[in-house]
Amino acid sequence: MPMALTLSAVAQQMLVQWCMAAQIFSEPAFRQAVGRVGSSQAAETDDEVCRQEEIQPIVEQINSSMAAFSLELRSCMDQTSGERMWSLVNTNADDMFKAATKYTPNELAMLKALVEGIFTDASGNYAMALHDALRLGSSITTVSRTEAEALVRRFSRDGWLDDKREGFVVLGSRAIIELQSVFNLGFGDYVRLCSLCKEMATRGLACSECLEAVVHPYCAERVAEASGQLTCPACHQRIRQPRRFGPGERGVPHSAPAAGGGEKNGSDAEESDIEQASEEPATQSIKRLRINDDDDDDGD
Amino acid sequence: MTDDQKINERTATDLVRYALACHASGKPIKREGIRAQVLTGASSRGFKPLMDRANELLEQNFGLRMVALPSHEKTLVEIETATTATPTNTQQKANGPKAAVNKWVLQSVLPDEARQKLELAQTEEEQSILGFAAMVLSLIFVSNMSVNVDQLILYVRKLGPPACISAPADSRSAPAHASDAQMEQAAREAISYLVRQGYVDKVRLASAGRHTVGETQATQQADGGGGGGESDEGMVYTWGPQARVEFQPLDMARFIAAATGQECTSEFVKTIGRAYGSNIAEP
Repeated sequence: MPMALTLSAVAQQMLVQWCMAAQIFSEPAFRQAVGRVGSSQAAETDDEVCRQEEIQPIVEQINSSMAAFSLELRSCMDQTSGERMWSLVNTNADDMFKAATKYTPNELAMLKALVEGIFTDASGNYAMALHDALRLGSSITTVSRTEAEALVRRFSRDGWLDDKREGFVVLGSRAIIELQSVFNLGFGDYVRLCSLCKEMATRGLACSECLEAVVHPYCAERVAEASGQLTCPACHQRIRQPRRFGPGERGVPHSAPAAGGGEKNGSDAEESDIEQASEEPATQSIKRLRINDDDDDDGD
Repeated sequence: MTDDQKINERTATDLVRYALACHASGKPIKREGIRAQVLTGASSRGFKPLMDRANELLEQNFGLRMVALPSHEKTLVEIETATTATPTNTQQKANGPKAAVNKWVLQSVLPDEARQKLELAQTEEEQSILGFAAMVLSLIFVSNMSVNVDQLILYVRKLGPPACISAPADSRSAPAHASDAQMEQAAREAISYLVRQGYVDKVRLASAGRHTVGETQATQQADGGGGGGESDEGMVYTWGPQARVEFQPLDMARFIAAATGQECTSEFVKTIGRAYGSNIAEP
């Protein structure tokens, strides 16, 4: 049954309340909620699901009325499964935004330290071993290790972190959606964008030929399935032995660019030449990826 | 729109944002917070028009509204009038004393059938806490809105409070066989949690003819959450402000019917109303 592309006032209010209660939700769940609020009495089934192409006008309708309140429906793609995750986020990081949390100041301090530590992980894996996360959490908040573990689980349940990564803690979808501007403004040196979908990449493959492009595992699989091989979007060489980054991977360290600097935006990767990394700690854009001389036998 | 109107509209929008932020943090919207975060030094003469406009924006865009959180003083009066029920003071119970409103919470104004369609997600922990709160509140409800301390502790021990609120963080995996003292402690902690959340108030009946402030959310917080070591003699538990906003008498009657496997007929509602101490209006 064709769905209306615009929601009635009550249907929009229902959907906004649903988004606020769900906090972080997958696109299929969102489409189901849209189907429920938008379905008329003449609907054939109670579980009518909104089609994917009908989501965008509804998102635009909601964002249009939410803009006055500094709220916006935003999404990011799960980097492995490709599933799109959504959240209704605050776009104005003022004092009111900081007050909108159920966490105590201590808990917030721990979450902030973990998010920062994970994002600026020197190995470029955007991951922290669980025991390191618990040790950091205990030192920041002076809670016991058991309490720190319970907090990490709570952060994961709320979508800020993900602790189901084989002994590692990584950023959850909610952190990637809500803190995007924070990462871009405060930690631009550590931001990586997938060269295919242009979304933030905290796990994936790096081209070992040109040291330029990174792609999500999901995006790489999609391209490889379509064309039978994975070709670097930057240098167009076949990626035979990619360097992988993510929890438990070898990592692609963040590094300083060569003289002349470089843009932070991954979409400008194709302009660059291969450059030697400096010995200095990473302080500039990591768009140019370093492979150490003694890593030639990486065997990936 | 004139400049003044634009400023007023912006202030009302900021109040909506502040209300949503308080709601997200699980805290009531306080008048002092509105003055500090929204009015920021501006005159508070136009407070009511500001609240009215903010409520309009909340309803139009979110299907929500700010509703006043009842004060503790109203609770004390209702208990006294309930224990000496006469046709006159039953009406007084319904009206209650007038007090300045200083706290609000957000409440959905969507029609019931719309809210049911939503299937709003709740975590297991939230469901168990809400279920526990509803059971405790139903006991107080059918006991003429007051239960003495020992009675409630005994009831909560039998009910078995959710582990997430009755045990310290580092012992949440409950021991297989808790001692009597541990069970008592768990029950007290669970009840303290409900007081902190505003579902339950611990008050002293004014049997000596003097109103006394008992243990409420505010005093618990001032005491650091420990309750201050006040004696339990003469103290009773009753519904707190949050319960009065979230649960209506008819909702409670329906909950009790469902929990006891009975049909919520008019006769059943009348029976529950007698235990509550006042008629329960049906739609």
